[in-house]
Amino acid sequence: MESLAVLYPIATLIVAAVLVPIVSLIGKTVKFEKLREAFTVIGFLAALYTLSNLYQELKTAKDGILTYNIRGFGPPIGVMFVVDWLSILMAFLFCGLGLMAAIFSIRYMEEDTGLDKYYTLLFTLVTGMVGIAFAGDFFNFFVFWETMCVSSYVLVSFRIRFWEPIEAGFKYLVMSTFGSLLVLYAMSYIYGLTGTLNFAYIAKTIGSVSPPTILYLLIGLIIVGFGVAAAIAPFHTWLPDAHPAAPAPISAMLSGVVIKAGIYGLIRILALVLHPASINWAVLVVVLAIFASLTMTVGNVMALLQNDIKRLLAFSSVAQIGYITLALSVGLFGGKIGVYGLASGLLHVMNHAIMKGLLFLCAGAIIHAAGTRDLRELTGVGHKMIGTAVILTIGALAISGVPPFNGFVSEFAILLATLNAGMGLFAAIMLANIIIGFSYYLKLLYILVWQSPKENLVNVKEAPFLMLLPMGILAALCIVIGLWPQPFIDFAFKAAQSTLNITAYIKIV
Amino acid sequence: MTLNVSLYMVAAIILFFIGVYCVVSKRNALKTVIGIEIMTTAIHLNFIALSLANPPVGVVDSLAQSIVIMSMVVGAAIATLALMLIIRIYGHYKTVDLKKVSRLRW
Repeated sequence: MESLAVLYPIATLIVAAVLVPIVSLIGKTVKFEKLREAFTVIGFLAALYTLSNLYQELKTAKDGILTYNIRGFGPPIGVMFVVDWLSILMAFLFCGLGLMAAIFSIRYMEEDTGLDKYYTLLFTLVTGMVGIAFAGDFFNFFVFWETMCVSSYVLVSFRIRFWEPIEAGFKYLVMSTFGSLLVLYAMSYIYGLTGTLNFAYIAKTIGSVSPPTILYLLIGLIIVGFGVAAAIAPFHTWLPDAHPAAPAPISAMLSGVVIKAGIYGLIRILALVLHPASINWAVLVVVLAIFASLTMTVGNVMALLQNDIKRLLAFSSVAQIGYITLALSVGLFGGKIGVYGLASGLLHVMNHAIMKGLLFLCAGAIIHAAGTRDLRELTGVGHKMIGTAVILTIGALAISGVPPFNGFVSEFAILLATLNAGMGLFAAIMLANIIIGFSYYLKLLYILVWQSPKENLVNVKEAPFLMLLPMGILAALCIVIGLWPQPFIDFAFKAAQSTLNITAYIKIV
Repeated sequence: MTLNVSLYMVAAIILFFIGVYCVVSKRNALKTVIGIEIMTTAIHLNFIALSLANPPVGVVDSLAQSIVIMSMVVGAAIATLALMLIIRIYGHYKTVDLKKVSRLRW
């Protein structure tokens, strides 16, 4: 079904991005500098409002898919947006975490300069991600992908007077561009094989491609290319440098949702666009599952060795991407088993965005108050910041999979889905990894919350309200999803079903 | 005068691997950026060559041209950003040798 509502969230975000510098200038003239921050928060709220309108419209749509063609050209050539349940789930996550990061930045970024650029880039980052989620063809996908990438390169190296963001930003730029180029190369071959860039038309014709063996090469390129963006080991080496180097709200965005954009690309292209191809998917499932086990093991073991709070969280992100990739590999089976796998993976995408966003914001609040990132210097900082300590405890327990919180729900779901697909070995590897993950989060809690405070922390004060607010909202979400997971599980199931329902997707476009 | 499309594709593969070699093995940060640009160019060549191969024969598909133009714009943005970062790297480290710009690696 065609609907103009598809365009509104993206349009809102782009317009807001353009308006931020102007509003900032107005704020300077009327001596009310915080106008810019207020505008940013309003912009994200407006985007969320348009998204919820779109959600209502999607509920009534036939087959649960909305499309919009840019006029002038039909689907095989023209640019088009397609929104299904998977897109709307991802878009809600992107905008929601963007809002939290924006609220957190109000106090966190106070002492930095160039804030008009900072908020513009935050908007373009979210625009890029929402655009990726809504793209219906490779052209759109590529443009929004690069919008996201370029914004995140600049945001990582935003504090340009220090050496760390510069070095990490350059490393991130080179590696991530390399990954994007591999995907673009694969796109050019897919274009050559099918004569179109539209997802639905590719899915229609990819089954009759000859010889199908070339598709293995293309899928390899796509896995490596998106794997760089999603930090799948062994392509994860940029992540533990880039994520800690960014300002804390941006770390939360990068770890929470930007790497999920890579996962979204993998899901969309492997499970939908290329899935009708006549190749042996069971082999690819095993290959992807091996990558996933490697990723989670590397991430967890490296996180055990860290003394820097943000590096620890960054390596933990690598490990969590491993769990999600395992669920995605189960999803590639298709059918009922695939729906279970993909749904559990999407639930974990949602939960991990909430939990890791929360933990990075907590780390930001602690660093802002104590002025150091070294865990040995931060011993017992929780005694000085009770609110932050409580929220940090919720986040850490949630991500290590302790029952009343949301992490347990999705990690358990992934384990069940993996067992359901008959991949008991990988389930065992994941279980071992969850235990390792629990151990370093306990270490984090022991150092930060349990031990008595060091004397260098006497002047540390509780984080201001505007920092505690987004952290509190995310912590509340952790508890709500943990205690009452049914609506979220249903949402994830719907998304997984609509992703794997390729015939409906082809028919509607 | 029509050259076979596969010749262009082979040329694109060779160019791509020259670019990969450049990114992976060169120590100079500027040469890394040049390597990325060579890879981008190889992909553009591949796109344009494949647009000739697709039916209907004789008509050039405008889709490939538009994505190549878009990709050029993106490539320019990334190159600009990379060069800006290299200037900053030089300011902090007094060198653009990537083996020496490695305080984060361990």
